[in-house]
Amino acid sequence: MRGDEAAGAAPGGPRIRILPDHVANQIAAGEVVERPASVVKELVENSLDAGAKRVDVELRNGGKTWIRVADDGEGMHRADALLSLDRHATSKIRDVEDLRSVASFGFRGEALASIAAVSRFELQTAPAAEALGTRIRVEGGRIVSVADIARRRGTTVTVRSLFQNVPARANFLRSAAAETRAASEALVLLALGNLQASIRLSSNDRELLDLPAATDIGARVRDLWGEEEAGELLALDEERGGIRVAGLIQRPDAARPAGGRRYLFVNGRPFRDPGLLREVDEAYRTTVAPGLRPSAFLYLAIPSGGVDVNVHPAKAEVRFSDAAKVREAVREAVRSRLGELTSAPGFGREDGPAGAGGVGRVTVPVPRVAERPRPMTSEADSGEAVTEGAPQLAFFVSRESGPGDPDSDERGPDGERAGSDGPGQAADADAEAAALAALAAPGDPTRTGPWQLHDAYILVPTRQGLLVIDQHSAHERILFEETMERFTGQGGTSQRLLFPLTLRLSPAEFAAVSELSGLLNSVGFELEDFGERTVIVHAVPNLHERFDAETAIHEMIGELAHGSELVNSARNQHERIAKSLACKGAIKAGQPLSRAEMEELVDRLFATELPGHDVHGRPTILRLTLGELARRFGRS
Amino acid sequence: MKLSITRDSLHAGLGAVAATIPAKTTLPVLSNILLEAKEGSLSLSGTDLDISVSVKIDAEVEREGSVTVPARKFAEIARELPAAPVHIEVDGVEIRIEGGKSRFKLFGLAPEEFPSFPEVEFDDSWRMKATDLHELISRVSFAVSTEESRPILNGVLWQLRPDSATMVATNGHRLARLRIALDGIGAPETDLIVPPKALQQVERLFGAEGDVEVARSRNHLGFRSPQRQVYTRLIEGPYPNYEQVIPSDSDKTATANRDNLAAAIRRMAVVASDQTHRVRMAFSNGTLSFRVQTPDLGEAEEEMPVDYQGEDLEIGFNANYLLEVLRYMPDEDVILQFKAPERAATFLPASGAPDYLCLVMPLRLLD
Repeated sequence: MRGDEAAGAAPGGPRIRILPDHVANQIAAGEVVERPASVVKELVENSLDAGAKRVDVELRNGGKTWIRVADDGEGMHRADALLSLDRHATSKIRDVEDLRSVASFGFRGEALASIAAVSRFELQTAPAAEALGTRIRVEGGRIVSVADIARRRGTTVTVRSLFQNVPARANFLRSAAAETRAASEALVLLALGNLQASIRLSSNDRELLDLPAATDIGARVRDLWGEEEAGELLALDEERGGIRVAGLIQRPDAARPAGGRRYLFVNGRPFRDPGLLREVDEAYRTTVAPGLRPSAFLYLAIPSGGVDVNVHPAKAEVRFSDAAKVREAVREAVRSRLGELTSAPGFGREDGPAGAGGVGRVTVPVPRVAERPRPMTSEADSGEAVTEGAPQLAFFVSRESGPGDPDSDERGPDGERAGSDGPGQAADADAEAAALAALAAPGDPTRTGPWQLHDAYILVPTRQGLLVIDQHSAHERILFEETMERFTGQGGTSQRLLFPLTLRLSPAEFAAVSELSGLLNSVGFELEDFGERTVIVHAVPNLHERFDAETAIHEMIGELAHGSELVNSARNQHERIAKSLACKGAIKAGQPLSRAEMEELVDRLFATELPGHDVHGRPTILRLTLGELARRFGRS
Repeated sequence: MKLSITRDSLHAGLGAVAATIPAKTTLPVLSNILLEAKEGSLSLSGTDLDISVSVKIDAEVEREGSVTVPARKFAEIARELPAAPVHIEVDGVEIRIEGGKSRFKLFGLAPEEFPSFPEVEFDDSWRMKATDLHELISRVSFAVSTEESRPILNGVLWQLRPDSATMVATNGHRLARLRIALDGIGAPETDLIVPPKALQQVERLFGAEGDVEVARSRNHLGFRSPQRQVYTRLIEGPYPNYEQVIPSDSDKTATANRDNLAAAIRRMAVVASDQTHRVRMAFSNGTLSFRVQTPDLGEAEEEMPVDYQGEDLEIGFNANYLLEVLRYMPDEDVILQFKAPERAATFLPASGAPDYLCLVMPLRLLD
């Protein structure tokens, strides 16, 4: 700036002047173009906005010396191509009103001009195969040549020597490897948001990504990170208060300490929102060990007007008009998905994400924009405009399951109750009569289950296969949720004891009991301070018939006084007590159960909010599907 | 060993012993029955090491001797044999069984492998009428605890006093006690804690008539009649002081028809929680009202006339405990006594006889 001033300002003349365009572009470039990754992002977004089916990205030296983005989208006529290099030249919005409903990626109209201002820039474009192509070269923001070329439809942008004229910025670039990683990550984000495009990335002629066009997000995740990761994901699709939340979340038991991949999109646009991710963590509460951050790929569809994307120059952040509603929608969508049976792990490999209703596809409708903005193309050509099938997201889950899909629609065993002849299936009159008969005289239990295995697991046959339930884990989940409900005053009974228990406590234990006596009382432990660190227990929660109150209260007090991994993960004292009581009060492995007890346990498990997950971050249920059995026996 | 026996006697003998044979055991000989032929009778014995049972049946013994035979197969064969005399001949551990035109051979184990029965000296024995034993056992043993955390409560307390025998059982939530007056049976003054399984065998094996001779050693108790013997391990340890928890200050009394009361509770229990079985009872002058509310399930209400004296009272119970207690109440009418909603309720037969009492601790609704 000083240079400009020195060169242009006459002594005594006006000190405030309009900057020449190329200077303004350099300044703007500072905002938009931070590093090669941001160039890649801007160019690929333009390609996608132009309806490209295929985008090839090449980098050399991390993009510092060479970036080329080639697409097969709508190209530009010469006039448009020249105009596109003007700052704030954009075909995507026309006035401020359009900003509210913008659905394309680039719209600020500064990308090309900004990039061209800080590099040796070449744009090749042709609007159609038979039309004449245009090649424009720009150096340091000044157009140095415009020429006719012959080329196929689409646009190719080559950016050489990025920041050659901005040494300060160039010096801040990191190693080629780091810049390549950043560019790759930017591309991954775009790939997750644009399934319809085939996207490739190579660096120094080595292929890093080769993503075919995908029909569902599960396929894209598999292409990006492999079968195994895709198999750990659960597909969800929920709408709440006009906000649709679709996507993939990780099965809780698959969450690893290293942390998961987390991507948020709103109306197809990626954004960052730590607050929203906290809601995701909130939804996972008690299903994963504390501190674990499971993967989440969430796609929000919010009616236009509900979200403002013009907050941040790099457009990484958005503002919701009703943020609380969005947070709730995300939390509830994840939570309710974790409450479904298919969120429990299966045996063997999974065929991609488990859908709420099987693996398949559904389109997430992005709210219609009044008029689909055109990619950089002139008014005159609007007739042939963009886009069969618009880039809007065709995502992956589907309610209709594939033929023979064994995982479909598992909510509880047989929909409602265990036992294949339960009343749940009765649809018409004949079936109803049969069901009534079955209800009055239940089938032979040895044939219909549930069965207990090694006094530790309950086997429940379902229409789709078999559930293996860990009786202790399952009971923990039940007791945890029931105890939490007690704190809110719902039900719960306390059994008075004929022979009160006398507990002699250590100082730490006594302190813990004194502090928590009110809460212990509200879950059913009636305690009396007898002096000398002795406590009399007059009543205990009526948890189940085999509840060994004496052992449980001893263990609980020890745990509450000295802490444990489990209770330390609790958010508050209510949860501490509920977790401890659940763990100590639940029936143990090794406990033989009657058929009625097993049925009750299963029924109560499926009445909980998160039946598939215990309070330690372990699964309560494993699913063995008929499909998996068929596969293992070579029948498929 | 060689003998003949009627098929029905064999059935009876096997039936008496079979319940003692453990279904699963690590000691193979325990799944066998010990057969001993001696002086015109055949003894059959079984044991699970805690409880041992022996019965003697008439037989025509040609050659004395003993052997153990696999219990289940032996019983199945006996069941299928035609109605004809059964001939049994043993050679070493080979047992030949003949009935009608059927012949079987089973392989047993040497009698020396069979565990010897506890040595209980009957020199200091006392005699009980079988009917008294039946009465004590049947009205009390239902109340024992099935939880393993307090082994003492897994047993029935049997208190012998110079003029009475009392049995008590409790699981800490409800209690049953029956006292029977005795005169001069020569029993030692002692407290025994007996596994209920053994008492059930006693109840089953000693018919309603006659006397049963009872004796104890340090760790065991023996019951015998000329034909039958039951031995059991005793549970050690001090039994909780149950007398202390029997309320003496109850000031509210209701008298109700036992069967009507039970029927009402059964109806209410239909909508009670599977988990807590809680029913709420409200006593006021002349009326007992029930109410059950189970979240997510439903509600039920009922009123019944009742003879009630005292202040109005609302109290909750586990319906199962109430039904159990009522099932064992001997009289048509039952007296219920209360002090307060958090104190034990007492159940008594209205006629005052026998000297029978049950306690049920209430359930408190948390709110």
